[in-house]
Amino acid sequence: MSAVLSVAGLAELVAGWIGQGKLVAAPVQVGDRLLYQTLATAGQAVFDARRRPANSIKEFFFPRHEPIFHYRLEGKEIALSDVVPEEREQIIFAAKPCDAAALPILDHVFNWDFEDGFYTARRARTTVVTLACAAHDEACFCTSVGAGPEDEAGSDAMLFDVGDGKFEVRAITEKGQALFPTASTEPRRSGSGPAAEKKFDPDRVARYLEANFESPLWNPLTLTCLGCGACAYTCPTCHCFDIVDEGNAAGGARVKNWDSCQFPFFTLHASGHNPRAAQPQRQRQRLFHKFSIYPRKFNAVLCTGCGNCERNCPVGLGVLKVLEAIDGEQRRLDDKEPVQA
Amino acid sequence: MSQQLRQTARRLLSEGKVQVVIGYAAEGRPALITKSEDADKLEWNDRCQANLAVYLTRKEVKALGKAAIVVKGCDERALVVLEKESQIERAALYVIGMACDGVGAPKCERCQVHLPRFADEMIGEAGESAAPAEGPNGLDRLMAKSSAERWAFWTGEFARCVKCYACRQVCPLCYCERCIADKNRPVVIDTSATPKGNFAWHITRAFHLAARCVGCGECTRACPAGIPLGLLNQSLAQATEAHFGYRPGMDPTAEPVFGAWSPADKEDFIG
Amino acid sequence: MTKNLYKPDLMEVVEVQRQTPDVKSVRVRFRDGGRARDFSFRVGQFGQFSLFGSGEATFNICSSSNWRDYIEFCFRRTGRVTETLWQIDKGDTIGFRGPYGNGYPMEAWEGRNLIFIGGGIAMPPIRCAVWYALENRAKYGDITIVYGARTVADLTYADELDEWSKRERVRVVRCVDPGGETPEWKGEIGLIPAVLERAEVPAENAIALVIGPPIMIKYTLPVLDRMGIKEEDVYTSLENRMKCGVGKCGRCNAGPVYVCKDGPVFTMKQLRSIPNDF
Repeated sequence: MSAVLSVAGLAELVAGWIGQGKLVAAPVQVGDRLLYQTLATAGQAVFDARRRPANSIKEFFFPRHEPIFHYRLEGKEIALSDVVPEEREQIIFAAKPCDAAALPILDHVFNWDFEDGFYTARRARTTVVTLACAAHDEACFCTSVGAGPEDEAGSDAMLFDVGDGKFEVRAITEKGQALFPTASTEPRRSGSGPAAEKKFDPDRVARYLEANFESPLWNPLTLTCLGCGACAYTCPTCHCFDIVDEGNAAGGARVKNWDSCQFPFFTLHASGHNPRAAQPQRQRQRLFHKFSIYPRKFNAVLCTGCGNCERNCPVGLGVLKVLEAIDGEQRRLDDKEPVQA
Repeated sequence: MSQQLRQTARRLLSEGKVQVVIGYAAEGRPALITKSEDADKLEWNDRCQANLAVYLTRKEVKALGKAAIVVKGCDERALVVLEKESQIERAALYVIGMACDGVGAPKCERCQVHLPRFADEMIGEAGESAAPAEGPNGLDRLMAKSSAERWAFWTGEFARCVKCYACRQVCPLCYCERCIADKNRPVVIDTSATPKGNFAWHITRAFHLAARCVGCGECTRACPAGIPLGLLNQSLAQATEAHFGYRPGMDPTAEPVFGAWSPADKEDFIG
Repeated sequence: MTKNLYKPDLMEVVEVQRQTPDVKSVRVRFRDGGRARDFSFRVGQFGQFSLFGSGEATFNICSSSNWRDYIEFCFRRTGRVTETLWQIDKGDTIGFRGPYGNGYPMEAWEGRNLIFIGGGIAMPPIRCAVWYALENRAKYGDITIVYGARTVADLTYADELDEWSKRERVRVVRCVDPGGETPEWKGEIGLIPAVLERAEVPAENAIALVIGPPIMIKYTLPVLDRMGIKEEDVYTSLENRMKCGVGKCGRCNAGPVYVCKDGPVFTMKQLRSIPNDF
């Protein structure tokens, strides 16, 4: 196997993995959307270094719905049984670096102190092959959070579009080498497009957040938010979840489902008290979690700059516009210029 | 038209007639303008897809005070229904109607309300409006399929739903304080994004919007998974029109189908 | 796979007691004897208690950590899970995950006078600390308990309040909101902050544990300040909504802390550095 592959060569590889019984997920064209999906056939995979899927790869590690055990009720007797774990090897193929970069970030929360075995088992049996980005759009801001179009974080191997339908492969980890034994492991600058310019400084943003939990800026910046979970659910790093029971009197399962801090009932206390009763407070929480709470806890910004939040937001909000505004505000404060109303 | 819109907004805000203008800013993003000096942020272009009527029932927006709202003809239908359902007081609202040639959405292909009809102020000329396109639309193409094919279609579409509720949150008529999907005593709709939970959610939502949905298409536009949810509502709208001759939001004097009873109602619709 | 973090232990209900018209206390023990022997916790920690088919709810473990036969929790009938819990009876099985959270720093409180201030359903998380202190009586100074509820009928653990008041160097101040008293009521009438102020509790060398609705805490803090108790000696236990209890699900984070992991017990001094998001 050469370390340079054609589109046909990539498809052949994918077909081979599927044939071996491996689960392969890759970007797939669905209507007008590009979405990561587990492939039925190799031909579905789209190898495009210039387009970003509308969802993220977190689903393959932290599914939107996951039974955590089953229960069966017989009179007063209750029997719990474990979920049969999926053991097939999984390959995420032609993913974006900004999706893969979320994995080392998420590893913290799913492993600190208590270990979430569901997540770590999927991490262990999955190999992530990214495709370096050759373009960015207005919503992209990976370079502002310390990542980039060829960022290796979370990737086991990386493909580079070298033109003429050819892709050069670089192995980054042992897992990547196992998939591509002849691939180079040397660092490589490639034909990637120019990186997006930095749009804000996360440290400056964090400084603003830590001093301005209450700020007259929150309302005007976030009042158009309609409170859906499109941002959180397509975000590579958002990981909030709910635990609920689903079933009937005879039995059922306790399940872990995605949840979002943008929903009004997310933090409603049993007493009726809701610390985040208004939408701007919930928007503020999302920013705080990403740029203050998580960094202070795990020393990592909970954001890879993929821009999905803005692209998927029905009102074009996302985090970037707000971050730019508060970055500018903090810059003004730092310059000791009069703060504009 | 943007210039004229800004002038109107500036005037309304500076005269104190309204405290907020709900309009569009750059790239068609919704904007809540509360200061007359910010009126210049308002824009009108073919990216102004959002139906801003959704903001009228939000408590955070209501708290801003008396509102003016920028509407397209299609959006305005939602105002009619909201008033019928006692959710807004039309007299307390200033409606700025925009003559619209279409905003590039699938819904525009069959549009019959390029011009708002009940606005307090119109911007743009009647002549700018285009005639509706001929030929089958998305719903026609779907309904031409067999029932089994349609089932397979929706099974495939709903499989992508992640339950982000963008469809509900953008809908100007999904204003329930606590949606049935958020009720848990008992759980009516599984919260899981599974085939069961997703079918239950989308079918329930479609029925809650039957004879109410104005076809603004926001649910389809907002869905991050690209599910053409509006087709469900259009199908029910078609049934409502066929059985009751009623089109929600078209005629402010018409009695809503679910708000009125008549001995002439056909029983076969219920049965 | 490593141990399933979210799979609960099965617990047998050994006793259910009605505390008030809408509050019950439940004693449970591990079905698995080995687990019962290995289990230990700190007072002030909490658990995720569950009914299969209804789901999980977060409650403080309100028994003393010295008690080996059972653990106890207390709940108000208010939501999906507690509505079903209301129906449980001796012999039923429920689920339990825990213990979680930091618990009270009982060692650090040794040698101090203890002032416990609670409102309504806040008695259970205070009760475990009271019993712990009474069981280690020599290690603690004077104990004062100021406990109030809306009405006499809403006072939880009323019998234990009587029992405590008979102990040496223990003072129990009971109060109900105006209008909540009965003709036989011998306790105080008034809101907790005012009752606390009137009670003239000696504050030297004291720590205070204050638990209750946000509004009660808000008006109690200035009283404690006037009494001369420093904010690093005033503790509370937060009641943020939680799902996982193990620092993952994202519900209870505020500032740099995850309430379920770093709390729920904080000093007022710590809370002052955390955004008011709880």
